[in-house]
Amino acid sequence: MQPFTYVRPETTADAVRAFADAGDGARYIAGGTTLYDLMKLRVERPRHLIDVTAIAGLDAIDTSGDVLRFGALAAMSDVAADPVVAGDYPVLAEALLKAASQNLRNMATIGGNLLQRTRCLYFRDPGAANFPCNKREPGSGCAAIDGLDRGQAVLGVSDACTAVSPGDWPVALTAMDAEVELLGPGGTRTLAVADLYRLPGSTPHDEFALEPGEMVTAVMVPKTPAGAASTYHKIRDRESYAFALASAAVALEMDGERVTRARIALGGVATRPWRATGAEAALAGADLTPETALAAGHAALEGATPGRHNAFKIELGARTVADALLIAAERSRA
Amino acid sequence: MNTPFPDRDRIDAHAKVRGATTYAADAPFPGLLYAMTVPSPVTKGTLTALDTEDAAAIPGVVRILTAEDFAHAVPNGTHMGAPPPTLETAIAYRGQPLALVVAETLEIAIEAAEAVRPVIEEEPFSALFSSPGAVREPAEASHVGDTEAAFAEAETVIEAEYVSPTQHHNPMELTSTTAVWADGQLTIYEGSQNSAAMRSAVASLLGLDPAIVDAKSPTAGGAFGQKGWAQRQTAIVAHAAMLIGRPVKLVMPRAQVFHVATHRPHIVHRIRLGADASGRMVAIDHDAAQQNSRQGPFPPHYHEAAMRLYDIPNYNGTAMDVRTDVSNPAHMRAPYEHPAIFAMESAIDELAVALDRDPVAFRMAHDGTVDPYTGQPYSSRFLNECFTEGAARFGWERRTPAPGSMTAADGTQIGWGVSAGVYPALVHPAIATLRITADGRTRFAVAGHEFGQGIRTVLANVLLRELDIREDRLDIPIGDTTAARQHLTAGSWGSFSAAPAALAAAERMRAALAELLDGREIGGTIHQQLATIKRPFLEVEVTQLGPGQDAATLEQWQNYNFAVTGPAYPGFTAMSYIAHFVEVRVEPRTRRVRVPRVVSIADCGRVLSPRTAQSQVRGGVIWGIGHALREATETDPRYGGYLNCDIADYVVAVNADIGEIEVGFIDRPDPLANALGAKGLGEVAMVGVSAAVGNAVFHATGRRIRELPIRIEHLL
Repeated sequence: MQPFTYVRPETTADAVRAFADAGDGARYIAGGTTLYDLMKLRVERPRHLIDVTAIAGLDAIDTSGDVLRFGALAAMSDVAADPVVAGDYPVLAEALLKAASQNLRNMATIGGNLLQRTRCLYFRDPGAANFPCNKREPGSGCAAIDGLDRGQAVLGVSDACTAVSPGDWPVALTAMDAEVELLGPGGTRTLAVADLYRLPGSTPHDEFALEPGEMVTAVMVPKTPAGAASTYHKIRDRESYAFALASAAVALEMDGERVTRARIALGGVATRPWRATGAEAALAGADLTPETALAAGHAALEGATPGRHNAFKIELGARTVADALLIAAERSRA
Repeated sequence: MNTPFPDRDRIDAHAKVRGATTYAADAPFPGLLYAMTVPSPVTKGTLTALDTEDAAAIPGVVRILTAEDFAHAVPNGTHMGAPPPTLETAIAYRGQPLALVVAETLEIAIEAAEAVRPVIEEEPFSALFSSPGAVREPAEASHVGDTEAAFAEAETVIEAEYVSPTQHHNPMELTSTTAVWADGQLTIYEGSQNSAAMRSAVASLLGLDPAIVDAKSPTAGGAFGQKGWAQRQTAIVAHAAMLIGRPVKLVMPRAQVFHVATHRPHIVHRIRLGADASGRMVAIDHDAAQQNSRQGPFPPHYHEAAMRLYDIPNYNGTAMDVRTDVSNPAHMRAPYEHPAIFAMESAIDELAVALDRDPVAFRMAHDGTVDPYTGQPYSSRFLNECFTEGAARFGWERRTPAPGSMTAADGTQIGWGVSAGVYPALVHPAIATLRITADGRTRFAVAGHEFGQGIRTVLANVLLRELDIREDRLDIPIGDTTAARQHLTAGSWGSFSAAPAALAAAERMRAALAELLDGREIGGTIHQQLATIKRPFLEVEVTQLGPGQDAATLEQWQNYNFAVTGPAYPGFTAMSYIAHFVEVRVEPRTRRVRVPRVVSIADCGRVLSPRTAQSQVRGGVIWGIGHALREATETDPRYGGYLNCDIADYVVAVNADIGEIEVGFIDRPDPLANALGAKGLGEVAMVGVSAAVGNAVFHATGRRIRELPIRIEHLL
């Protein structure tokens, strides 16, 4: 912990200005469920916090138009409980409800959740062992690659980093072709959620495609009937309150037993929310059976690179996709 | 002894759920200062310098204690478990406290602790059981009969290795100490199982007369053995409070608790188990090798209960310490019995399968009435009654024996497993005072600590059955050196030792009252009777000894803070027993293992408090499920210390992991253990659960997983 300044502006414009005025070491903060945790661990050392939670209206949920629009400050628990989300988009509701605990979901915002940082233990370093970590200390190396890497990614890895992108919500949004609305010194823009996340490559500390001072103001999900035939399936080391070993966000458009269009994204196994376009293509036009579902799962994990202790994630990821497809198909029949 | 006890509500339940219970770190003091330790960033070496200049310059920092503040030599003997509670320059494990920063606020203490810069001459280290440089050191063995001869005759032999991982207790209440030095008296507040050791360790380390030191641990927020011995930080914080002259509080962050407090060591059990031509178990070789620290005193006593599990006439128990550069392991709930019985009951299951015998019938055929180690009879043993009752409630007769034969329509594999558990019935002497006042109060003070197990409810149940007194004004001060002579409350001897003292005190109270009334017939409660005869109060004291205990036992208590005996008493051996029946369901594709139901039937003699006893067993079953399927502390051998040192990544079971747990008791009094017929329960509750889970996983899948925890990747 180190001293920091704290301001609580009441408009987005004031927030962006406060960020620019603060100079180096500024961070926006909303629910604080990640940032305070990482500050206590000394991973994040902001000099200035700009608390955006006093900005009026930024928590609005609007499901009346062609898109589901969620203000960045909407609580995870509120979005999950929205009748349209809960009724017509189980993939979104489940992704939110299978994350964290109710206490955390009441505090955490759906905008802040997009920017959650990895749970890699060598990155978080709760025991203050000062592990080499290219995310935490660029250029210091990666202790995880030759270490206890059971939880590490098998997709999108690099020689510099294998840390898993931890979120559930971003995986569901990626499958549903969602966009984020961003506000920064240069104005407003929108970006596909899928494009918000960078592969680690040689610069794993550079995680998000955000300009300096940009904040997330909203998340937009295009409405689709496939929302009803969807699921977020999450496999973890216990039944609640844990991050994914493997997860799959799936939404189907079906013609009887035949898949006309599949959307598949993976979590828990990749360095960013992982859209499995190859698996989607393989499934398009095919009848959905346990066999084709598992084949799609294996296609989704194509190109996976196992580490020392995480090879099981390749098979587990494939089977998670298969189960998710079968659950979604069951819902298409309802 | 002949009447079952009523199902009384937990007497502290309302206070707990309202958040009114005061734990050690909750006590407020004017002028309180906050402390934070500086943990060693390396696993082994020597601290050559400690740069505190930047830290000391932070406004609000009051003092930084270093090893130089502890010139006093550290006596050995009474401080088992945690290392000597001082600051030292020799670094034996990652996370060892190198300094203590004391400041006006917690935030300043944290900031300053992070600004302290240790200079360390590093040395190579061995962090794992299997690391080069780990030194294997044979320990005390236990033998019965002649296993070599018996194996020569054996027809069927099972040989396998079973591995139990490093685990941490993780009580919800963090390790903490608050020390107050005022008016010539030092008072320590700490969540503890051993206020006696708190007092004596602090007195001896700081060179104080024990008479000016008091220790208070009225309620601990979970302990499980981690708070059983003098803790590392206690005397350091006490010293700070005395040097500064203001109250000082330290609450350790979870990651530091992982490193500084004790843990259950990594243990490898090698079992060779033989049956003769008639299918009777005749011999067992059981070697238990535990990872230990370089100097740690925790002995590998894995055989005391294991050799009394069944009637196996030839038992060759060997043990070993594997010395490595880790913090000290020590006792964690059923420290020996839980891993040893996991190994034995897994091997017995393998043997039953090899012999094509029903796992329950096979076990029941090996019941015994005589302790094979001493040749003495058991005082009571209703293990077969536990099996019979459990099998009936579970529906065991519907089990089909072949692995994988009980598959649900969706492909989910169902497995049913069984295991017994056993734990020695140990007893400690107690000195208790009981005071009843005319204005309605009752105060019963005795050695013991409440860490959630329900000892106060047990004592209340005995006192309220024996005496006509007001329940609402019953005060039971325990864990407090100012109230009664204290001991280490562990080994399931807490209630088992204190409750007979409550009975004896009640009997003495009745006798004293009768003497006082001298034949007069006065109605009403004891309070009303005292009021009528104009006595403000009546107080009695009792010294309660276990079977065979005498003045020498009391002297040992005085000198070593505890004096426990059993399970072999003059003329008999006393053990507690349990049988667990577990159903697992293994998902067809992703292979998640779920435990929808468990039936556990215990024989702990007379049940003193049905409500808290049931909770104890449920908690033990959850611990066993955690051990079987969830928990392991992991070490990266390149860095030492513990990697997953928080409760996000050290995976304990959560509510969603736990299905139905049905608990039953035989509730027949043990005729010899004590006047109440009771035996200990807190630890036997979890013994055998992990074996029953593993045996059920085998029955479901045909896969025998001998290294815990059983995880998805083992079953894909």
